[in-house]
Amino acid sequence: MGLSFNLAWRLFKHEARRGELTIILLAIVLSVTSVLALSLFSERLQQALTDRSAEFIAADSQLRSRTPVPDAWIEEAKDRGLKTAFQISTRSMVFAGDELALSDLRAVDTAYPLKGKIKITDSAFGQGVKTDDSPQPGDVWIDSRLIQLLRVDVGDVIEVGDATLRVNRILSEIPDGGFSVFNTDPMLLMSDADIQATNLTGAGSRVNYKYYFAGESADIESYYDWLRPQLDREIHRWRSIADDDSPIGRSVQRAEEFFLLASLLAIILAAVSIAVAAQRFSQRHFDPVAIMKTLGASKELVRQIYLIQICFITLLGILLGITIGYVLQEAVVALLADSVPVSLNTWYWRPLGIAVFTGVTCALLFSLYPLLQLFSVPPLRVLRKDIDATLSSRALQFVLSGSAVFLLMLFYSGDFEISAILFASGIVLVLSLIGMTYLLIMLGRKLGSGGMGAWTLAWARIRRRAMGNSVQLISFALTIMLLLVVLVMRNDMVQQWRDQLPEGTPNYFIANVTESQKDGLVASFDENNITYENFYPVARGRFVSINDENIRTEITKEDEEPAQDGRQGLGREANLTWSTVLQNGNEIVDGQWHDNWQEGDPVPISVEDEVAQRLEIEMGDVLTFNVGSEQIVATVTSLRKIDWQTLQPNFFFVLHPKAMENFQATYITSFHLEQSRKSEISSIMAPFASVTLFDVDARIDQIREIIDQVSLAVEFILVLVLVAGALVLIAQVQASMDERLQELAILRTLGLKGSRIRFSVINEFLIIGVVAGLMAALANEFSLWLLQTNVFQMPPSLHIEYWGIAPVAGAVVVGLLGALGCWRLLSLNTSTLLRKMV
Amino acid sequence: MSTPPVMIETKSLIKKVNTSEGSLQILQPISFSVTSGETVAIIGASGSGKSTLLGLLAGLDEVSGGEIFLDGKPLHDMDEEQRARLRGEKVGFIFQSFMLVQSLTALENIMLPAEIAGLDNPKARAENIIKQVGLEHRAHHFPNQLSGGEQQRVAIARAFITEPKLLFADEPTGNLDSANSQKVEDLLFKMNADLETTLVLVTHDDELASRCQRQLRMNAGELTEVTEPLKVVAGGQ
Repeated sequence: MGLSFNLAWRLFKHEARRGELTIILLAIVLSVTSVLALSLFSERLQQALTDRSAEFIAADSQLRSRTPVPDAWIEEAKDRGLKTAFQISTRSMVFAGDELALSDLRAVDTAYPLKGKIKITDSAFGQGVKTDDSPQPGDVWIDSRLIQLLRVDVGDVIEVGDATLRVNRILSEIPDGGFSVFNTDPMLLMSDADIQATNLTGAGSRVNYKYYFAGESADIESYYDWLRPQLDREIHRWRSIADDDSPIGRSVQRAEEFFLLASLLAIILAAVSIAVAAQRFSQRHFDPVAIMKTLGASKELVRQIYLIQICFITLLGILLGITIGYVLQEAVVALLADSVPVSLNTWYWRPLGIAVFTGVTCALLFSLYPLLQLFSVPPLRVLRKDIDATLSSRALQFVLSGSAVFLLMLFYSGDFEISAILFASGIVLVLSLIGMTYLLIMLGRKLGSGGMGAWTLAWARIRRRAMGNSVQLISFALTIMLLLVVLVMRNDMVQQWRDQLPEGTPNYFIANVTESQKDGLVASFDENNITYENFYPVARGRFVSINDENIRTEITKEDEEPAQDGRQGLGREANLTWSTVLQNGNEIVDGQWHDNWQEGDPVPISVEDEVAQRLEIEMGDVLTFNVGSEQIVATVTSLRKIDWQTLQPNFFFVLHPKAMENFQATYITSFHLEQSRKSEISSIMAPFASVTLFDVDARIDQIREIIDQVSLAVEFILVLVLVAGALVLIAQVQASMDERLQELAILRTLGLKGSRIRFSVINEFLIIGVVAGLMAALANEFSLWLLQTNVFQMPPSLHIEYWGIAPVAGAVVVGLLGALGCWRLLSLNTSTLLRKMV
Repeated sequence: MSTPPVMIETKSLIKKVNTSEGSLQILQPISFSVTSGETVAIIGASGSGKSTLLGLLAGLDEVSGGEIFLDGKPLHDMDEEQRARLRGEKVGFIFQSFMLVQSLTALENIMLPAEIAGLDNPKARAENIIKQVGLEHRAHHFPNQLSGGEQQRVAIARAFITEPKLLFADEPTGNLDSANSQKVEDLLFKMNADLETTLVLVTHDDELASRCQRQLRMNAGELTEVTEPLKVVAGGQ
């Protein structure tokens, strides 16, 4: 072992110093770097987004209860190192002089909120500013709508139950205020020390208690494990940062899928470059192996020497990769620090593990076949240079590299389906590319006969080495294709996100608009040059039965046993609208839209498909709602898919107007008011005091911010993949240059002019580049179609522009790399060239 | 005076290769022997089968029939591993294209066989022998930094470091100009004489061949003893 280690170390040291390991080392470094940087970055981003989600519940976890919980529970949480906070909420009328309004009353302790910040504002509907303060005893913070409704201002007093409290601040937002266009009352925040004095929480009143917990996730989990057996489903509800189904959540989820895909592609690219580089490494060591065997080295010794050498290379590659990867993502994080709130100063073991695993797998599995070949070189090669490795099995090579790729995909994605789809389509792709290559080479045959021009020489070479070239062509094509896939996915996705929130996205919603106010509002909007959306009629109804089968109305968690008998219900009152026009972003997936209803037919209703699935509503079911004292009965005639990513009011249930002809409707709509005109809002809305106004700018800003940060991350990944792709191309050109060396030397010796040889080589690469680019564009369409339909759930689209861009880019890049490679070779004089051949 | 022991002995040695047109016998049955300390040249035109014979004698290739004994050991019965061990213990090599490991320095190349054979102090031995070939100032250069003549002197040092009983040389001066050839030949024969090594040298250079005690001619796969003195152009012996 000592001998093999010494020899391996010596060979490694010299070769590394002489730059002969550069490509293989770079390939390993790149795979480790990209994997580490990508996964570390996405982990940190994800952590930041989780923190962000935590802000929506003002804690990492929340315990909601209808009665106060035992003090021991809270003590236990504190003992386990968790931070706790408390909120008690109820609905109550509040009074100011003659004015009164129903308010959503929240009394909090000073620790509230554990995550996120309370926002306050100087004037009603003004810009919210974060504050660390919380209401002191005797104070009350009320929101802009309450200010409007009660006609009070800061400094005035209001009556809350039996207590008289002073309005101290204007509340803009609390982290867990929730967001709903419907169903919200203006909010009031006060100190929990005053709640006794209000006498609002006595027997018979409907009061909710919220206990907030924050800390390490392991601590929270263990606390929940302790707490769970003591919880009563009827009373308590534990809430954690759950899957976010909001537009933000979906954007982030899609971005994560993209990260995953891009990282997979980056790994595959890096792996391909390792394979190419390892092949070259192996071929360059045929002679040393033959020499060592001739000098008496056993197979075992040779094996050890090279395995140890590969380990050295891998180790160095991994160390460099980890260092560079870490520095790189630190740099990116530092660069983005102002715009992207990624969590800082954290070290995650998972990305490190993945990176090391990737480095080891790539380096070992992809160099295994070249190494086996190397081991099989017979000593007789010292006498006869034409004797190569005795092992030559493409099947073995494909099996080895194929399983390495699949293993990496599986390990990295943890998703068998995605891995299988990608892998299978990869195989189909490679096979069709092989077919296409042969076809093209055949076609080129005609061009390759004739005089000795640069083009003829180029084609002749391509034709002669059909197999070698087809492998090269395919790898060029695959590389270009992978780059295209990542590029196009990035463009499509970022575009889609931006489309979600175009300039002029409504930033105010208004509800409770009466029929008589509607025209006045429209006139006011026109007068003030404000763009507004459709007015949707709304009525709130209690969903009572499906096909005469009663449904329960109590809120229960889906995965818990029913708290009451009866079918699964909506859990809250339903917002009903009615129209014969199908709303934008809605698509009928079953049945027919009710725009041609005939008198005498049952009254139709259209149901959103996901809610239909959840409540087990089927086509033809008869649904009953109680609206006020009336009963509405309608038959399900269509199911709709809704694009929830649009920021417009969307409805689970859309009735035919016939059903609602006897009801007085109120309307909701939304409009856009530029940031600079925000101060006008009070005067614009003043004549319509009973209308409820929601300012969603904060929410939109938040979505924009997240989209921006995710887009930036995607950009960063694109760059990494591009670098990986470039490296593969360089490795491939480098490898093929070695093959070309002999031919160039001979042509040169025979007196062919350097310029002609150069042009013929460049032309050869140009041809390969164009063909590879074209094949890549074709393969790109196929892969994108697969990805868009199967993985990203996006509408598939054609990308004709790349049919032109890809061949040109392929020709330019591959041609340029080829030119650089052969310039270096041809600048050597003939004797050096011949000596290099020996 | 007792007869020196036999170092190489072949009995009806044949070699066949498979070609697209069937099996081709490239060595006719060859039987000859070389005694210990003898210097023997195998001469013949290109493609006559000289290198094939050398490959078989050195155990680099497998025989198709017949027997080879190297220092009494039946090479024809051994597998590749056993042959490699035997080479490491008893055989040195010099090649036309030098066959130095490009990523090792001159000194490390020389050390290599001693290390493989597990000898003590390979470095001290190499430092000693590199002086004998006059290249101590080039010890830490890589092969591509040396001239052809220098590379072959490194190869000679490498061949002798284990003090092998038997040395095979395949066209040792084939890639060198005449001045360098002379230097390398002189060195080779001097060290060979010093160590009393048995030398089997393959060449098509009659002048070089004539420096050996015995000459064998290979012609179309047949080996015959040369009895007439070789005609050597001016400058030879």
